[in-house]
Amino acid sequence: MGMFDQGFDAIIIGAGHNGMALGAYLAKSGWSVAVLERRSEEGGGLCTEEVTEPNFLHNLHSNYHSLVGICPVYEDLGLTDNGVEYVHPDVQMGSIFADGSALTIHTDMQATAASFARFSPKDADTWLRLWTEVSGYMDLMVRTLMYAPPIALNDITRALASWGVEDKSEFLTARLRSMSVAEFLDKHFENERIKAMLAFHAAICAYQPHVKGLAVSYPVLLGKIANWHVCKGGSHRLAHALLRVIVKAGGRVFPQVPVHKIVVENGRAVGVETPDGFVRAHKLVASSIDVNQTFESLLDADWVPERTRRDVAEVKYQDATLFNVHVALNGTPRYKAASFDPAIDRAWILNIGFETLADFEQELARVRAGRLPDRPRLNAAVNSLYDPTDAPEGKATGLLRVFAPFSLEDGGADAWNRVGSGYGAACLERWREAMIDEDARTLVRRFATESPLQISQKMINYRFGDWMVGRIHPKSLLEHRPTDELAQYRTPIAGLYLCGASQHPHGYITFAPGYNALGVIAEDMGIEKWWDRV
Amino acid sequence: MSRAEHEVIIIGGGHHGLTCAAYLARAGVDVCVLEGRHEWGGAVYTAEVTAPGFCHNIHANFMEFLHIMPFFEDFDLPSLGARTIYPEVQAGIAFRDGRPPVLIYQNDMIEETAKSFAAYSKRDAETWRELKAKANMFELVMAAALYTPPAKWNPSENLPNPLLAASSSFSMFGLDEEMAFKTVRDCIDEYFEADEVRALLYRVAIEFAAPSLEWPGSGYFFLFACLFMPGCWRMMVGGTHRLNGAMVTACIKEGVTMRESSRVRRILLDGGRASGVELVDGTRLFARKAVVSAVGLKDTFLDMVGAENLTPYTRRRVEHFKEGPDQVLGSVAMALHEPPRYKSARWDPGIDRAWYQVVGYDSAKDVLDYCRAGHCDRVPELPAAGVWVNSLWDTTQAPPGKHNLTGWYFFPKASALSEAEWEAVRAGYNERFLRLYAEFAPNMTRDNVIADTLHTPLDQERGMRMREGDFGHGAMSLDQLMGLRPFAGAAHHGTEIPGLYLAGSCMHPGGGVTAACGYNAFKVLCQDFDLPPVWQKPTRFY
Repeated sequence: MGMFDQGFDAIIIGAGHNGMALGAYLAKSGWSVAVLERRSEEGGGLCTEEVTEPNFLHNLHSNYHSLVGICPVYEDLGLTDNGVEYVHPDVQMGSIFADGSALTIHTDMQATAASFARFSPKDADTWLRLWTEVSGYMDLMVRTLMYAPPIALNDITRALASWGVEDKSEFLTARLRSMSVAEFLDKHFENERIKAMLAFHAAICAYQPHVKGLAVSYPVLLGKIANWHVCKGGSHRLAHALLRVIVKAGGRVFPQVPVHKIVVENGRAVGVETPDGFVRAHKLVASSIDVNQTFESLLDADWVPERTRRDVAEVKYQDATLFNVHVALNGTPRYKAASFDPAIDRAWILNIGFETLADFEQELARVRAGRLPDRPRLNAAVNSLYDPTDAPEGKATGLLRVFAPFSLEDGGADAWNRVGSGYGAACLERWREAMIDEDARTLVRRFATESPLQISQKMINYRFGDWMVGRIHPKSLLEHRPTDELAQYRTPIAGLYLCGASQHPHGYITFAPGYNALGVIAEDMGIEKWWDRV
Repeated sequence: MSRAEHEVIIIGGGHHGLTCAAYLARAGVDVCVLEGRHEWGGAVYTAEVTAPGFCHNIHANFMEFLHIMPFFEDFDLPSLGARTIYPEVQAGIAFRDGRPPVLIYQNDMIEETAKSFAAYSKRDAETWRELKAKANMFELVMAAALYTPPAKWNPSENLPNPLLAASSSFSMFGLDEEMAFKTVRDCIDEYFEADEVRALLYRVAIEFAAPSLEWPGSGYFFLFACLFMPGCWRMMVGGTHRLNGAMVTACIKEGVTMRESSRVRRILLDGGRASGVELVDGTRLFARKAVVSAVGLKDTFLDMVGAENLTPYTRRRVEHFKEGPDQVLGSVAMALHEPPRYKSARWDPGIDRAWYQVVGYDSAKDVLDYCRAGHCDRVPELPAAGVWVNSLWDTTQAPPGKHNLTGWYFFPKASALSEAEWEAVRAGYNERFLRLYAEFAPNMTRDNVIADTLHTPLDQERGMRMREGDFGHGAMSLDQLMGLRPFAGAAHHGTEIPGLYLAGSCMHPGGGVTAACGYNAFKVLCQDFDLPPVWQKPTRFY
């Protein structure tokens, strides 16, 4: 009996977390669902592999899950009941500075303020006021701006203005829409290192600190600054939980079934072509992969209107991506800066190298020019601090990330094959400088590098290594993402929807593109929104 | 917090654990499978170990039993994504001087294989025709032998004797029964005369089930590994791991509770009865009916039960159970621009499209010496291998236009070398292999290789919990076969500990993706707990 004989109500292209979530909701709504994945493993960016040595689990892409408890999908789908477990590090983040001092951000905001106060008591107070304010409207912001189809920025500002935001809020103003994160920080804080720590937090979420207009999203980002979670057993475990939900609800996930074509008849998507033949979609096809693949590779040009074709060709991707070093360690690192702040040895996400706002500007400018910084500035994370099961007993798994260009000035993207391993060694060296001497000598067992080129080859919808699947810039967000026409998850082709990170809000483990596409599909197809909280 | 309790707890989520779990759930049993790794399937595994997009089956690759495997049929795995490809040329050996290759084709293509043998010996061609035809006829008898648990041994009776079954198999073929007492090499040499044919059969034999070419009393493996096995191999489209995906889906569908990243530290005993397990993080789960272990024998009895809880007999047999030196592999993986093109192809292009390609040997003696090295704790001096390039048939396993080569070296046991010595092997052995390879296939230069890796027996031991890197979880010598596997007192899947059962590869029929150990364990559980025998099918007698 062939696995595709009967066809399915919904065919979803791509088994990343967005595609799988949409599949799970539709299956639980009684639909027959097939999620087709090109790779041999489902999960997309939820990818955990033993790339250094047996029993060292490395998250190759998604490492930080910051919307646990905020995102409605976890509860709607019963993901925790289906095996995913999280750890919430009490020391969320830290910065190690060249002079041996350190800042730490804790889930306990008083502890965070105390850390800030050592650099600037005034900034510590400002921080507490900012934190209290954003915590107050975080829920509202997230529900209306993230887990709902995009509203035009103009409409958001008009709503805020008519509410009287300038009078009611110390930090929110309509002018945020023309400010950068750096300008916001300059306006409210005085200490450069505190600003660097807070800018770092935005930068690792792909919100580059000097891009004008991104300050408008900054309050939401800050609202979850203490909500970063480690997925126990590796990020891929979340994909297992999604798989269980889908199969229990009668759906199917088929790895290693690449989709060659979306088949359109009379202007309607009726199925897909795969190496196993044609698979019929009785109700819809939803693509969770990038719009370029969807419209340029999977659809016959005849079915793509000229305007759509033009707009998709103009879609812009991040101009900075990541170079990763995956490290097998003999234990968790101890830092020299612990003598300044002992909590730094327990900080999960570390900034080693960004000391001022100007550092970000300089770093990203280099990256845009295709050049690698001489001294790498690191984002270091040792998940084993909080999930010791990701390495053999007593050992640890580490991850180093630096902002990097996809295409190097000298040699293009292919040059990564030449320089990758050397650059990985340079990153390790930089990390060692921050460690106490004994650890610098003995901690590192083995490492494996993952260049932007390799990222784009393994996850082919991370074009140019862009895991956000589209640049983070006001002209490419909200109602403009990925294009004005395609921002509401529908396409010019009946029965074809978009549900992946190309869409609002963007990439990262948010589930929001899939959830929002679900909302639109439910309206179009008359599905009762059993998940709706309203 | 409510007590975590099930009727049956299965330790180990490799394919045997999954098989047993799915059948139990179908029989209405509340069953939970615990897997220590972050991923299911054990050695039913595929990973991009060289470069992005290149899928390598560095453990199980040749699916030899799917067409007779009850689990495959009973749970309709093809509908859950398990698709296969059946390459026509199943195996072949190429030679350095470019003389004709020797090829083995699918089961139904006896004549093509005979023609290939005939290049070297008409007598060998005729022998193949006759014996292969018989093997095809007796396939179901062989299947029944695999998918039937050994009977429970009563110590007052004679010991089970694997040679009895073996010798009657020879008589079934019309061959001398006493061949069962001989070595695999004795059998190959007696029935086949051409050195080239012997070379291929020697390597095929040890690759596909025979533990050794030179252990007396293992003549049965000549029948199994040289006649039954070659010709039935299927490839999982998308990589071996696709089979795991289908098995996992089957388990979820049946309602199995599945917990990965859940390593068991010990088996709990209550009044001498297996009552549950404790995980390394201290969590306890209780089993009202049974604990079934699908992990290794020593792991189960020494680590999880504790030697102090065993009778002296069981303790002796477990402590002295042998892992290796057979079935210990090093896995080589290479991402290639072009597939290998053999000099021998000018005589028969089939070698370039043989699924299992034996490369590096010039004679049968080369293969013999090679096998002896591993059994004597030495890394073979001759870096020969058996390799496969799955992308030739399944283009989803490599980026467009590129190729994924994977292969096996026979290496000594993991404990034969120190960690530093294994690292030295990892650093240099593939390069030596490539230099030899280029003499057999001139396009296999370093330039043709995008990236390569080597997984040593020590890696297999650590990553897959195969002691000594033995993928069969226990030597397949006569003393550890059938009714004596893992030892006479435990071959029937039950153990001296009430409520504790064994379902892993340390049981009959040993390693390989058979799903038999799990299936046979289920049959025994059915009997012992009076479960509905959902394994029974009117069209199948095993």
